[in-house]
Amino acid sequence: MSSDPKIEGYKFKPGYSGMAADTASDQTMFKGVHWGKAMMWIFLLSDTFIFSCFLISYMKGRASTPVEWPNPSEVFALNAFGVPVPLLLIAIMTFVLITSSGTMALAVKYGYERNRKMCGWLIIATALGGLTFVGMQVFEWSKLIHEGVRPWENPFGAAQFGSFFFMITGFHGTHVSIGVIFLFIYAYKTFAGHYDEGKRGWFTTMKGDYVEIEILGLYWHFVDLVWVFIFAFFYLW
Amino acid sequence: MHVGFIFLAVIVGSILFHIFTPWYWTDIASNWGAMDDTITLTFWVGGGVFVAVCLFMVYCVFKFSYKEGRKAEYKPEDKKLEKILTWATTLGVAALLAPGLIVWNQYINVPKNAISIDVMAWQWGWQYRLPGEDGKLGSTKVENINDNNPFGIILEDTNGRDDVLIQSDVLHLKNNRPVKILLRSVDVLHNWYVPQFRAKMDAVPGTITYYWFEPNKIGEYEVLCAEYCGVGHYAMRGRVFVKSDEDYKNWINEQETFSDLIARQKIIEFSETKLAKK
Amino acid sequence: MSEDFNENKTIQAQSSETISGGETGVAPDIDYVRPAELSDQDLYHGHTFITKWVFCQDAKVIGVQYFLLATFTGIIGLILSWLMRLQLGFPGAAGFMTAEHYYQFVTMHGMIMVVYFLTALFLGGFGNYLIPLMTGARDMVFPYVNMVSFWMFFVAVGVLLASFFVPGGPTGSGWTLYPPQAILEGTPGSGMGIILMCVSLILFVAGFTMGGLNYLITILQARTRGMTLMRMPLTVWGIFTATVLAMLAFPALLVSALMMTLDKVLATSFFMPTILKAGEVLEYGGGTPILFQHLFWFFGHPEVYIVALPAFGIVSDLISVHSRKNIFGYRMMVWAIVVIGALSFFVWAHHMYVSGMHPWFGFFFATTTLIIAVPTAMKVYNWILTLWRGNIRMNTVMLWCLGFIVTFVNGGITGIFLGNVTVDVPLSDTYFVVAHFHMVMGIAPLMVIMGAVYHWFPLVAGRMLSEKLGKWHFWITFLGAYSIYFPMHYLGFIGVPRRYFEMYDSPYITSAVGMNEFISTAAFIVGAAQFILIYNIVVSLKMGKPAGKNPWQANSLEWLTPSVPPEHGNWGDKLPVVYRWPYDFSVPGAKEDFIPQTTPPSEVVETEVEKT
Repeated sequence: MSSDPKIEGYKFKPGYSGMAADTASDQTMFKGVHWGKAMMWIFLLSDTFIFSCFLISYMKGRASTPVEWPNPSEVFALNAFGVPVPLLLIAIMTFVLITSSGTMALAVKYGYERNRKMCGWLIIATALGGLTFVGMQVFEWSKLIHEGVRPWENPFGAAQFGSFFFMITGFHGTHVSIGVIFLFIYAYKTFAGHYDEGKRGWFTTMKGDYVEIEILGLYWHFVDLVWVFIFAFFYLW
Repeated sequence: MHVGFIFLAVIVGSILFHIFTPWYWTDIASNWGAMDDTITLTFWVGGGVFVAVCLFMVYCVFKFSYKEGRKAEYKPEDKKLEKILTWATTLGVAALLAPGLIVWNQYINVPKNAISIDVMAWQWGWQYRLPGEDGKLGSTKVENINDNNPFGIILEDTNGRDDVLIQSDVLHLKNNRPVKILLRSVDVLHNWYVPQFRAKMDAVPGTITYYWFEPNKIGEYEVLCAEYCGVGHYAMRGRVFVKSDEDYKNWINEQETFSDLIARQKIIEFSETKLAKK
Repeated sequence: MSEDFNENKTIQAQSSETISGGETGVAPDIDYVRPAELSDQDLYHGHTFITKWVFCQDAKVIGVQYFLLATFTGIIGLILSWLMRLQLGFPGAAGFMTAEHYYQFVTMHGMIMVVYFLTALFLGGFGNYLIPLMTGARDMVFPYVNMVSFWMFFVAVGVLLASFFVPGGPTGSGWTLYPPQAILEGTPGSGMGIILMCVSLILFVAGFTMGGLNYLITILQARTRGMTLMRMPLTVWGIFTATVLAMLAFPALLVSALMMTLDKVLATSFFMPTILKAGEVLEYGGGTPILFQHLFWFFGHPEVYIVALPAFGIVSDLISVHSRKNIFGYRMMVWAIVVIGALSFFVWAHHMYVSGMHPWFGFFFATTTLIIAVPTAMKVYNWILTLWRGNIRMNTVMLWCLGFIVTFVNGGITGIFLGNVTVDVPLSDTYFVVAHFHMVMGIAPLMVIMGAVYHWFPLVAGRMLSEKLGKWHFWITFLGAYSIYFPMHYLGFIGVPRRYFEMYDSPYITSAVGMNEFISTAAFIVGAAQFILIYNIVVSLKMGKPAGKNPWQANSLEWLTPSVPPEHGNWGDKLPVVYRWPYDFSVPGAKEDFIPQTTPPSEVVETEVEKT
């Protein structure tokens, strides 16, 4: 169950039919793929459907509301030195989140190199990036609420703007927050050396391994990717 | 052995039930005979498959019941047989689908000479609005609905002035004249359904849906709400009379138009203010 | 489609070549199987009563837990259906029954039976019990998550049942929960009832996701040596595909439930247009009710196959074992399951032909819907061709399978009526629909569940169920259920709409009164007959004939465990090694009429067995 697959005696076969044969072969479909990693991929596929349902509902709702949709570059503008700059905050938020994806990727790399310290600090950095993002989101929410936007009403136009905005960014923010909690837990486990000595987890009989950081990384990258879509749909459309 | 006989009895019983059933569809009273035809077609093809499959199963039960020492055949697959069955089924399904799509195309394309009828639904009742001499219905808005304007007609829309308002759940239709039913709802989902006309469509709040038919049998019919709409769903009935041209003309001339209603209300308002002044 | 099969044939040939180790040049050993890729799974063994039977991580115990809780919920659904039938057959006989109660019972019956009974039973119950055993795994891959999955389901059921005791009672908006009525006055339970329903569904989805990930990864990544995909029993294929559907369909339910909760609690207007009630315009506006219907049916249609595909899989195995014959056209069966599963995501709007969506959708969805009929029909042909020239044991299990074929074909044919857009127009929202879906996804899967209970009870309990009681149970249930739903179609032909508390004196419906009385009486009897099974289980647990090992002479792995019933870890010290598909029955040249999957080729050299 490590990152080093024990698939001796198995030769991958050439061509499409060979690929199909490999897929249908015994024991595992994805050779050498950790159970947890496979699980995370499938979970993310399911989660993709959740966000797709949200965003498609948003498109349908926005297209069919009789009241005008508010102009995003005005609603989301931020006053910097007395000048309203459209999308300023959101640009920073997006930058922070994408950067945290980078630190996460580095953490995975150092993890596999068994560089405990670097790996741990990079996870902490990722978590801090996530925290910053959530913090800025809280700031943006309070700004909108202060201006009178509510889930059920909106002074700038269609009430559905507030409904969809709070629901979808809230759902995404929850994903980020859960990710941050897990990042801190994993940082602790990294520093404590659980992955080096293969200590069993709290809720599982599986041995600890640096692959877990990669699994959490998958989740984190996914959350970032979803944000890119939310960003495009809410702020650029 | 008895197993085979009971299953056989079930199949024969089903066929007999279908032949002798007193419960079957009501006499059609609209142009949608084609719907009945597609049902009949599906019935014979589908019923034939059902009987064939079940009889084959019964045959197997009789013929291949367990016998000590007999060995079943070992034949994992039969490519040819599977191919034949796949193609036969595909053909059968296509034969059922094609007429369905053709009739659907007729169903969603309304003939030009159809009279538009505004069917307004609420929890739990119906009312109707027919176009006046201009043949056009005035546009409406839910927010406009009140005692003085029960249909929520937009006052600025002059098409609405001569609209005939029927504030009751009884509608009259002209025989052999297609009607386009325009459905709207002010609260929840409803569905204006007369079994004898076969056609139906949901009324959805916030939008206007439609369907059309041509009544072709003079008589009285019951309207049922066919989409669950709350506690009163089962009691949400209405009536439709299909009438000859002359009877229909007499009836429609007795109905109030929107301008009649406005005029009547002005008189009431006028007398009320006069009363108040006194 | 036929190309797929040809290509598949070459795959088969190649994979068997690898297994015999042909490419290395060493003298081929016909029993050679590749060594294990993975080290053996570590399991947590419970010691106390709590960790062994309550918060247990053994998939088999979790399966039984799911089974029992789902059955308990199902019995509540059954009682609700009795109350409904009482009102329909004998209006006014139950004095307390108001229209509010009736609609609440309709709603809860529907939701309980579809989600909390059938889905939980097939995937949670049979899935948990059979997947690790049939694929040769020690347990599910994440036993802890699996345990949490059950307890989430437990909480979901608790929340659902709690809605019976809140002010206003449970929601009475129909199991489809259509807005706007679901959350407006005028519908029973539009306050706490609908909120609890949505919360319960969200919990169910969360819990199911945990279980579903387990089922998928166990099947994909934890099979035993020699267990290729094309050697898996069809039961596993059915449950696998159904779980994939669930993982992709439940998100739509989650989203729609969440949005509806917000509409109710925060007065957002996702699904709520401008509404006039009691002369006043409500605070809602600008939403679209059809959106909910699209989301709901994007979940709702795959849901039908989430129930049906495991039933297809299980019944294939039962028919094969008890006809002593291989399942006819195994590869076709597998592909049919997969194709049906894939297509089920493209047909959802056939539930909405008369919903007021754009009429052009009708052409597309009618076509996709009828295409599904082809692979489904192929499965039916293959079941009866499996019986053909078999050696059919007429035991209780086989009776349930035969009952399944009759009811499923019947319900499948009426599905062609409703899927074909024009035919659907007069029949939608009538009793024809009620009869159709009860026949095809109520009775038919239930027949399979019953067959499966009689088939696998000896494995779970180590004792046989009474055949005599089983036959009574079958005949009453089958004949009773058939006489409930077959005539009910004809009510739909007349035009009797569904969800009517009372018909009053509609001129053309008076003739239906007698039929309604008959249907209700049959429903009471069929419902009562289910208690025969419960009695049978209770008595047989203690006094049934000891089953011994492999009482049905089956081939699949679950019967080949070292101890019966299997213990935690399933396989003792050594995992089984698989050499063949599970359908080697009546192979020419073999001494017995079955060759278990673990029998190596060297032990049966003289047989003419197909390569798999």
